[in-house]
Amino acid sequence: MMDDLKIHRNVCPRNCYNTCAMLSHVLNGKLIKLEGDPAHGYCQGRLCAKGYAYTRYVYSPERLKYPLRQYPRGSGNWVRITWDEALSQISEKIIELNHRYASNLSLSYNKFSGNVGFLHYATEGMFNSLGSHTKLKGNPCLSAGLDAIAYSSGEGRNPDPEAMSDSKLIVIWGANPAWTAIHQLNFINQARDKGAVLVVIDPVYTATAGLADHYIQVRPGSDGLLALGISKILVEKGKYDASFVENHVEGWDSFRRYLQEIVRIEEVCSLTGVEESTLQFFADLLWQYDPVATWCGFGLQRYQNGGQNVRAIYALSAITGNVGKVGGGFYYFHPGIELFPLNLLNHSGPDDGQISRSVDINYFPSQVLSLTDPPVKLLWIAGRNPLSQDQEVQKWTRLISELEMVVTVDLFMTKTGEMSDIVLPAASHFEDFDLNISYWHQWLALNEPAIPPYFEAKSDLEIARQLTRRLNELRPGFSNFPSERTAEEWIEREFTPEVLRHYGLLSWRDLSAGPAKLLEQNNPWLDLNFKTKSGKFEVFSKGAKEDQLPALPRYRNEKHDSSFPLRLLTPQNITGIHSQNWALEWIGRDEREDVVSINPLDAAERGIKDEDGVRIYNAQGKVTRKARINSELVPGIVLLYQGGKEPVNNLLSGLSADMGKRNSGSDGAALYNAFVEVKKIERD
Amino acid sequence: MTEQIGFLFNADRCVGCKSCEMACKNENSTPLNVNWRRVSSLKSGKNISISCNHCESPECFRVCTRRAYVKRRDGIVMIDVNRCDGCMNCVSACPYNAPQFDIEKNKASKCTFCLPRREAGLMPACVSACHTGALSTINMEQYPNDTVATIEGFPNIRLTKPSIRFYPVKEKARYWIKN
Repeated sequence: MMDDLKIHRNVCPRNCYNTCAMLSHVLNGKLIKLEGDPAHGYCQGRLCAKGYAYTRYVYSPERLKYPLRQYPRGSGNWVRITWDEALSQISEKIIELNHRYASNLSLSYNKFSGNVGFLHYATEGMFNSLGSHTKLKGNPCLSAGLDAIAYSSGEGRNPDPEAMSDSKLIVIWGANPAWTAIHQLNFINQARDKGAVLVVIDPVYTATAGLADHYIQVRPGSDGLLALGISKILVEKGKYDASFVENHVEGWDSFRRYLQEIVRIEEVCSLTGVEESTLQFFADLLWQYDPVATWCGFGLQRYQNGGQNVRAIYALSAITGNVGKVGGGFYYFHPGIELFPLNLLNHSGPDDGQISRSVDINYFPSQVLSLTDPPVKLLWIAGRNPLSQDQEVQKWTRLISELEMVVTVDLFMTKTGEMSDIVLPAASHFEDFDLNISYWHQWLALNEPAIPPYFEAKSDLEIARQLTRRLNELRPGFSNFPSERTAEEWIEREFTPEVLRHYGLLSWRDLSAGPAKLLEQNNPWLDLNFKTKSGKFEVFSKGAKEDQLPALPRYRNEKHDSSFPLRLLTPQNITGIHSQNWALEWIGRDEREDVVSINPLDAAERGIKDEDGVRIYNAQGKVTRKARINSELVPGIVLLYQGGKEPVNNLLSGLSADMGKRNSGSDGAALYNAFVEVKKIERD
Repeated sequence: MTEQIGFLFNADRCVGCKSCEMACKNENSTPLNVNWRRVSSLKSGKNISISCNHCESPECFRVCTRRAYVKRRDGIVMIDVNRCDGCMNCVSACPYNAPQFDIEKNKASKCTFCLPRREAGLMPACVSACHTGALSTINMEQYPNDTVATIEGFPNIRLTKPSIRFYPVKEKARYWIKN
C-alpha cells in the first residue's frame, strides 16, 4: 500500500490566549505530527509545548473510547454501553422528569472552557431547544476585570497584540506568557531588539519575570495600590499627559485630590512591599518611555478587590497618555466573539410558558441545591471538570448525591467523570469541524477534521444532534434543535455579511486556505472617543457608584482569619491548562504537579525541609503535597499548581471578587483570597 | 571534516517554555522517557536547553564497542541503532545525557540534528519551535565574537569539545520584597 500522507488545518481550542492554527500531518489515517501554521500571522508556525504534545493527547492510553455507565455512581464499576443505550437512557430520563415536573426546569448543565470552539456551544443550544431549563450564568475567569474596564472606558478592547512590537516600554503586570501565552514573547522581543525595556510586576518570580529587564515583586492583591502610588508620584511631579487628562478624563480633579490627600506613599510601600526608590524608578520609566504598553493579567483581578486593581492599573496607563496610542495601550482581553451571531448559543427554544432559571457558575452546587419547585435532577457536564476546578469543589459531592442522573462528556476520565452515571467519549478537535477565534489576538481560523473520531468519540454538536433525534422519536416535537443541520452548515451561518466584511472573506470556505485577520486597524481609542456615558475615560465612574462600588479606583485591605496565615496562590502549570495536562508525561517526571512552594522562613518556622511531605489545610479542606523551599517566594505565601490527584481547589474560600455582574451576570471568583496553614506530615 | 554545525544558546532569552523539547518529540516520535532535547532550570534561575552537541571529540563515539557511532563530514554525530546492543557505555559517558536509553527496545538513540529536515532545507525542529530566539544554529568555524564557550551550569566542555556556543549571561535588575 502506498503511504497516504495528508496535511489538515486544525486550531487549538484550549482556553488560552494564543488559539494557534496548526497543520496536522496524518499518515494513513493516523495523526503523526503537528506543526504551527506559518500562514497564521500571530503564531507564525510555532506551537507551545502542549501543542507539540497533541499526538499524546489524541492517542493517550487514558483516552475514553466508548460510552460508559457505572453502578452505583462513584463505585468505579464501569460497564461499556452502546451509544444507542446511552442516548435512550438519557432521553427516557429527560422525558420522565418532564412528565414528573411538567417542565424541563429540573434539567441543568454545567459547561465552560474545555473546548472554546464555536461549535461547542452545541451544549447550550441543545438545552435551549428543550424550552425553559436551568441555565448557567457568570464567569469564573476574568469577569471582574471586564467590568473594571467597562467602568473606565465603556467597553474593553485590546489593541492588536502584534503592535506590542512597536512599544518602547512593555509592562507585564501579573501575566506569565512564558507559560501561558508564549507566542506573545515574539512580539515583545521584537520590541526589545529595537531597544524597548521589559518590566514584569508579579508576586511570583515567574519564567516571564526571569526574562524581564526589571522585575518588581509585589504583595498579592496589592497591585492596584501600587498603581495608585505610582500615579501619585507622577502627578506630584507633573509627569502626566496634561492635555489628555484635561480633555478626555472624567473626574480628573477628584482623582488628583484623592491621590494627593488619601494615598500615602509609606502605606503603599508597606502594603505592596515595594520600596519607595523602586516606585520612583518605575514612575520615571513610565514617563521616560513613549509609548508604553501595559498588559494586565487575569490573576490580579481574582481577589475581593480585583476589579479595583484593574481600574487603578488602567488609570495609570491612561494618565500617562498611553491609551489610544499605537504601540501603547492597555491589554486585557479581545472580545472578538461579539462580532458573530453565535447561533448555537443563542438558539431559541420553544416557548413553553415558563422562564428558565440561571445559576451562578461560581456557586453552582450551593445554588442548585437551593432550587425547589422543581429541584434539579439531571445534570449534563461538558467541557468542564468542576470536581477538580470549581470554586465550591467540596459542595459538589452533596449536589451529586441529590441528582438522579449525571452525564459527563469528556475525552478522559476526570474527577467529575468518576462521580457521573454516564460518561460519553468526546471527540478531540482533530476529529470534527470547528471555528475558532482568540480572546487575545485578531485571527480567525477554521478547524477541519483531520482524522476519523477516536473509537466511538463524538463532538458536542454530534451528541446534541443524536440526542435530539432520540428525544423526538420518543416524544415528537420535544426539542426544536435542528438536528439535520451539519457542522459545516452551523459554521456557514456564523458568516454574516458583516463578519465576512470584517475579515475580508468572500466565503467561510476561504479559510480552508489559511486563517484570516480582522481587517481594520483595531487599536481602540485612537479617536479618544470613549464608549462611556461622558465619552471620556472615567477615572471617576458614576456607573460604578450606581452599582454600589467606589467611584474612584480605591484599594481595600482585605481581612482574613489569622488562624490560616499563609496566602494560597494557584497559577497554571506549564504542562497544561487548569486540569487538562496531557503534556505532563511527555515532559517527563516533573514534580511541579505535586509540590507546594514555600518561603524558607515560613518553612523553618514550621520545621519543614525540602521534599518533606506536608499537609496544606484550612477550614474548607486539605491536600497533601511535597514541600519545595523557594527563597524567591514572598514570605506568607504558598504556591500550588492547579489540578492534581487531590485538587487544590479543595482549599478555596468561595469568596467573590468585587465586580463581574455588569458583563457576566455575576461577580468574578476571588480565587486568590484563600488562606491556609501548612504542617509537616510526621512519619509513624 | 569540511564544517562543523552547532548550536548557539542565549540563556537570557530562554524562558524554559519547553517548546523545543516537545517539538523534538513531535518531530522524531521518540517514546515516553526518551527526550533527545531537554530543558532544565539552572541554580542561577536561568534555563538551559540541551541535546546532543555533536562534539568535536565525541565520547559516545570513543566508548562504543559496537562502532555504532559515526561523525559525518558536516560534524553531525549519528548512531546506527541497528548496531547498538544496549550496553549503555555511551549513555554513561556523555556529559550531556545526549544518548537516551529506550528500555523497551534496549537501544540508545539521540539527536540527529533533524537530518531529514536539514536535507529539506529546514532548521532542526527545536530551533524552528523556539519562540524567543534563544536557540539557533551556527557554523562553529564562524561563531559570533560576542559568544563564549560555556556558561555556569553547563557540563564540563573540556573532554568532548561540544559544538555549542553561548551568549554570556547578563545581570538584570530585581526588586525583591525584603523579608
